[in-house]
Amino acid sequence: MTTYDANGVTLEQVREYVWEIPQDGEMRVPARVLASESLLDEISDDKTLEQLRNTTHLPGITDYAICMPDGHQGYGFPVGGVGAMDAENGCISPGAVGYDINCGVRMMTTNLTYDDVQGHERELVDSLFANVPSGLGGGGIVEAGIDTIDEILARGVDWALEHDYAVEDDLRHCEDEGVREEADPAAVSQKAKDRGKNQIGSLGSGNHFLEVQRVTDVFDDEVGAAFGLTEDQIVVLIHCGSRGLGHQTCNDYLRKIEQHHQGLLNQLPDKELAAAPAGSQLAEEYYAAMNAAINFAWVNRQLIMHRSREVFERVFDRSWQDMEMELLYDVAHNIAKKETHTIGAAAHSADVASGADPRADETERELYVHRKGATRAFPAGHPEVPAAYRDVGQPVIIPGSMGAGSYVLRGGEASMDLTFGSTAHGAGRLMSRTQAKDEYWGGDVQEELEADHQIYVKAQSGATVAEEAPGVYKDVDEVVRVSDALGIGDKVARTFPVCNIKG
Amino acid sequence: MPYELRPHTADVAVAATGRTLSAVFEATADGLAAASCDELVDSGEQLDITVSAESLEALLFEYLDELIYVRDVELVLPVDHEVSIAERAGGWELEGRARGIPLDEIDAREVKAVTYADMRIEETAAGWEAYVVFDV
Repeated sequence: MTTYDANGVTLEQVREYVWEIPQDGEMRVPARVLASESLLDEISDDKTLEQLRNTTHLPGITDYAICMPDGHQGYGFPVGGVGAMDAENGCISPGAVGYDINCGVRMMTTNLTYDDVQGHERELVDSLFANVPSGLGGGGIVEAGIDTIDEILARGVDWALEHDYAVEDDLRHCEDEGVREEADPAAVSQKAKDRGKNQIGSLGSGNHFLEVQRVTDVFDDEVGAAFGLTEDQIVVLIHCGSRGLGHQTCNDYLRKIEQHHQGLLNQLPDKELAAAPAGSQLAEEYYAAMNAAINFAWVNRQLIMHRSREVFERVFDRSWQDMEMELLYDVAHNIAKKETHTIGAAAHSADVASGADPRADETERELYVHRKGATRAFPAGHPEVPAAYRDVGQPVIIPGSMGAGSYVLRGGEASMDLTFGSTAHGAGRLMSRTQAKDEYWGGDVQEELEADHQIYVKAQSGATVAEEAPGVYKDVDEVVRVSDALGIGDKVARTFPVCNIKG
Repeated sequence: MPYELRPHTADVAVAATGRTLSAVFEATADGLAAASCDELVDSGEQLDITVSAESLEALLFEYLDELIYVRDVELVLPVDHEVSIAERAGGWELEGRARGIPLDEIDAREVKAVTYADMRIEETAAGWEAYVVFDV
């Protein structure tokens, strides 16, 4: 058997791109890493594997803790981690969702081509930067009181529809039509709402951005057509989350769980993994609060998309409807969701070669599927894929760095067996922010992108540009190649940046 | 410098030292400000901060969480921290002061949250040491 040794952790190769840390000691299940050897070299370079192994200690974790090809060290749970906990006997963990609840990506298509935009890049980037709030303390598109916050938390994009920030079609192209019904605004603290009320419709900073892109490749014509993607077309990608409201919600519940479920916490190797047992009052409350924050993040991205349509209208002097600026899809990549999965399937799919009946002891279970830095990737035919895409599979949007391409994938046939219907979420960081600032200077990065690649970048902070320089990220092409080869997310199209704004 | 910014793949960590417990809390908070902004200015009004918690680690978490909350709500970056910490029945109490620099006067980046990941607060022969990872 091929093995891979990484700082005292031995991984066994199950098959190509599938590596396993066997169950040992306090681990409740084995852990799996989905990666090529070159990605594994990067994944094993920090605490990712230790964090992955720690997550297998969580009660009710099912089949495997899984690290996606873009995995890297996070806090508690690794970024790029998927953990499915039994919704009856398991747990839900705020740290396994992450601070930025429903951090995610949406892509809007247009009927513009790169030719239409060339010559307007400077005006477009300046106007987007001036009109889409970003950075720290930059305010939001909507100024709101607590009543409005409560409505947004309860109703999600339906609120935006009522207030003319969305059209019906936007809801049809968003996961859950842009609203989690299980949301309860009362489960979100006053502090979280106070933080949220001046940030509704804002990018924030860090790795969040808005990018105008051109489609450079369509790999699958049939699915590309179903997604409305053609080569040379202009699209807009928006990457941000639930802002301070989500961050505060995560911390509020980490502290409550620490105070009320000390017994469970003491069994875990990392305090950041604090989890509420399924069925407990705090599990219910956190789930209701997290769903409310999910709704907030969807509204946040919707407002930014709406504002981008207005900017395009001014720059190109045409209505957004005329430019067919339509939401392709919105995916969350920091989320926990109650989903029904066939368990045991992941274990058996690897053993088919042994001749054992692969479906012998599978059962259907309701699970809290935690995806932290991982994207849902349901295949064609799955009932939870919006009707518009059910025949081809759920769109998956994988943002790359501002100097590399991004990808559109579709949920792959193997995702339900291998990853609880999940794939990667991005390129994954390689270099720390402190090191990035030593190696890069924001102004140089910006000039180089414009001179060498015709990418126009505008940011509130030069330091953010340095911290997000293309060189600090893994090779997104390799991440996507592995996702495609495993059949968890199939390549549909690739895009390349034209204009990028960030905090 | 009583604090250092340490590399972390996606985020930023602060390692701080102080001769007293109060001093290490102040240094950690100054580290949070440094992780948010490279060049501070002299303006800003005084802010008062009060938090309490059942343990020292929880107190550090609550204190840093409160500073991030104040930043988002008051739209100021808290700097120049001074705290006094007292042990009370069932836990710890912190009373703090800071200067809040208006965000529109500086080039500041968002630190999203304080985390418990690898958090340490320990008494040593030389005083106190703390280590905190922030989500950026």
